[in-house]
Amino acid sequence: MSEMLLVVALAGRRAALPALEVNSVIELTTVTPVPRAAAHVAGLAALRSRPLTVIDCCVALGVAPPPADGDARRAVVVEHDGHLYGLLVDAADDIVATLAEPQPLGADPGPGWRRVAMGKVETEAGSLLLLDIEALIGGRDRSLAA
Amino acid sequence: MDDLLTEFVAETREMLAALAGEIVAWEADPADRGRLDTIFRFVHTVKGNCGFFDFPRLEALSHAAEDALADVRAGRRSADRRLVDAVLAVIDRIGVMIEEIERGESLSEANDETLIAALNGELHDAETPIASGGVQPSFSTAEQRTIRLPVELIDQVMSGVSEMVLARNDLARRMQVLGSDTGLEAPFSRLSALIAEVRDAITRTRMRRIEGLFATFPRLVRDLSAELGKQVFVELENGEVELDREMIELIRDPLLHIIRNAVDHGIEPPADRRAAGKREAGMLTISARQSGNTILIGIMDDGRGIDCERLAAKALAAGLRTEEQLAAMSREERIELIFEPGLSTAEAITAISGRGVGMDVVRANIEKFGGTLEIESLPGEGTRFLICVPLTLSILPSLTVEAAGQTFAIPRSYVEEIVSTAGGSLEFAQVGERRYVTFRDRRLACVSLGDALELEATADEASLFVILRLGWGDLYALAVDRIFDHHELVIKPLSPGIMQSGLFVGCTQLDDGTPVLVLDVAAIGYGAGIPRELHRPASGTARAAPAQREGLRVVLFSALCGERRAIAMSAVEQVEHAPATAVRNPGPNAQIVLGDEILPLLGVPEGAELPPRLSVMRLGDGTQQIAYASRKVLEIATLSGGLRRVEGDGGLVGVTLVDGETAELVDCHALFARHGQRSGGGRELTCRLSNDDGWMRNFLGPIIEAAGYRIAVGDEPVDIAFVDFAAEGEAFADARKAIRLRDRPGSGDGSDTIYRYDRAALMAALVRAGEELAA
Repeated sequence: MSEMLLVVALAGRRAALPALEVNSVIELTTVTPVPRAAAHVAGLAALRSRPLTVIDCCVALGVAPPPADGDARRAVVVEHDGHLYGLLVDAADDIVATLAEPQPLGADPGPGWRRVAMGKVETEAGSLLLLDIEALIGGRDRSLAA
Repeated sequence: MDDLLTEFVAETREMLAALAGEIVAWEADPADRGRLDTIFRFVHTVKGNCGFFDFPRLEALSHAAEDALADVRAGRRSADRRLVDAVLAVIDRIGVMIEEIERGESLSEANDETLIAALNGELHDAETPIASGGVQPSFSTAEQRTIRLPVELIDQVMSGVSEMVLARNDLARRMQVLGSDTGLEAPFSRLSALIAEVRDAITRTRMRRIEGLFATFPRLVRDLSAELGKQVFVELENGEVELDREMIELIRDPLLHIIRNAVDHGIEPPADRRAAGKREAGMLTISARQSGNTILIGIMDDGRGIDCERLAAKALAAGLRTEEQLAAMSREERIELIFEPGLSTAEAITAISGRGVGMDVVRANIEKFGGTLEIESLPGEGTRFLICVPLTLSILPSLTVEAAGQTFAIPRSYVEEIVSTAGGSLEFAQVGERRYVTFRDRRLACVSLGDALELEATADEASLFVILRLGWGDLYALAVDRIFDHHELVIKPLSPGIMQSGLFVGCTQLDDGTPVLVLDVAAIGYGAGIPRELHRPASGTARAAPAQREGLRVVLFSALCGERRAIAMSAVEQVEHAPATAVRNPGPNAQIVLGDEILPLLGVPEGAELPPRLSVMRLGDGTQQIAYASRKVLEIATLSGGLRRVEGDGGLVGVTLVDGETAELVDCHALFARHGQRSGGGRELTCRLSNDDGWMRNFLGPIIEAAGYRIAVGDEPVDIAFVDFAAEGEAFADARKAIRLRDRPGSGDGSDTIYRYDRAALMAALVRAGEELAA
């Protein structure tokens, strides 16, 4: 059975998130910084009356420095353990269907990606890296500690 | 108590309803262990709950059923037809009784004994009157209209209401832009009022007074202590604190456990208490207090305290700690051992507590729902448990502040006061890197919010402070850049990634929807090095302890001579202000009028020019008082550095460094010693002056009084009598010593007379008489 995936652009690469776990994609205008939080926590925003922890995926990956403050940034809203998270991505455009079950990664996708990738999956839009939402939320620190 | 009864009825009904299916299934298969257990738990719970009320019949019935089922569970008895029937009849009867209790009727007459006998297998089939004795459950209309809802549904309504509040605020802002003539004001204010009403109602659905829970404790303690042959008074405080209904259920068991422990292990038997000089009846205080979004529940007993030596020994015996580890542990750390699995200090396992469920389980259960359990104990004085539980889903009155351009919220319950340097009334002191601000005569450490959060510091010196009160009265001053407003904010949980810094308790939203972090001011304060007061606020002995560990606590002041001086804080009883006119005879022998007393005044140099107002410290050594003059009392400090002796002035111990500046330490010993000379050693001896002699009363009386002796009135027995050289023995027969005076200089006829104007000889005679009397 084919699964729906959300295609996102991250650090210049395309990757996929399971669409079932995605609540919505929003434009974030203001993000309240959180002092003394982990580096990949970009801050706090609100989705109506619920707090939204904003995760900077690039920092979580460790593949790129956090981009300079732009105006609006696109965030993929997911719910994890009862908390809402906004995953900052460069773009989140398409929803595509998988063509096959996810496969284990063959070749190493490169530092950073390795940790957050659950596997690779063939889709209508080509072969994509399937991202692990929990690993993104946990950030780099957790993986180093584990 | 009515609330409690309603709850009991509701709970029992609910269990009965849930049990209906189980009973049928058990009847079909009496060997079904799972069903048996369910039914056993039901009668057990009913029996337990009955203990809080006066329903002896209900208790007897459920007790009998419990016994019978316990036998079945233990395999001592098989669940035969008769037993099953009897148990079912008992459950039916319980249902009927609950109906009657709910309607407020007295329990109808029915033959419980037959049922109980049937349970015990004492009846034969022929005479088994198993049917409920003709009492049919009659479902009347008196049933209270209550429903039970899933918590999620209520949460959903709550969050819907908070979104409504946000939408209303948004509307309000837009209306402001539109100006005042929109014609929307009236409907808008009506909408606002309605929203507020709904919000109140929905909050109340979640919250309940903790009173309902507390109300069950006195009875419990009474029964426990009666069983153990102890006397325990229970004192309940602040039952009106409101707590989430769910939370009340969750803390019930841990609380009961701690109370049982306190009565069983903490409070001593009356004889031991008498021997320890305590009242025979122990005191158990159970209090609740709201502090921010935390509810603090304290359970304090005045029992023997935790024997941490024995705990340590047990930990050693159980192999949990090595001897070296134990030796390195402080008393607090040793007390913490009580939370180690498998350690219980009770010597004997009793029926009340110590049945294997240790404090570790209690703590784990409290932590499971986000609470904490702390313990403080003083040997011989008692133990206090402090349970902190989060107040989930609360609307939190908060103060919003700004630091480094960012807005934060502080729970208002912590805020003591807001102070600012704008009025110029604040006094500061700098100790190393730490700044102190004087607030209500206390030096409070300042913590900069920007620094604590590692935000970019603003260039200006902090000028705005929120005085915060933590746990047991620890105060500190939080420096902020701006203070905005008071808000009623709905606090929301934060994701673990943000909570891990431990600086925030949650998040909330301002009217415009901007998220605002709610500060954990306790964590910020303690994190910034505010000392944590571990001891009970009311305990004098506990407070004295740290003072000995640290250096000498001194009061720093600026002396009249201009020098900075320090005096031992324990000697200073009071600081008063007095006008210069209250000082008499400035110089080494100065005196000051303080209230209606005249005290010798020290610290006044010869010929010094007095400031118009003096700060006068009243010093005491327990028996006498003297006053010490200063221009101004500066602060309280702790001496840590060494002392350098100074030559010359006998009134100073030496010079030391306080905060990098010199301070002369006043020699209290010398002061009191000198003062002692001036007042005749402070011994109050009575003197009699010959009554008919105007010279003695008018000339001699004042100087004797000034020297610290009391002039006797009337015929009371006296220590020393002044008599004329010609006086007969009976004139001073009631005096222990007599001093004879003669009115001519030169050597008198007798050797024991003193010339009445020879003041030195007079005083010497007085001192000698005093010494002889004392010997």
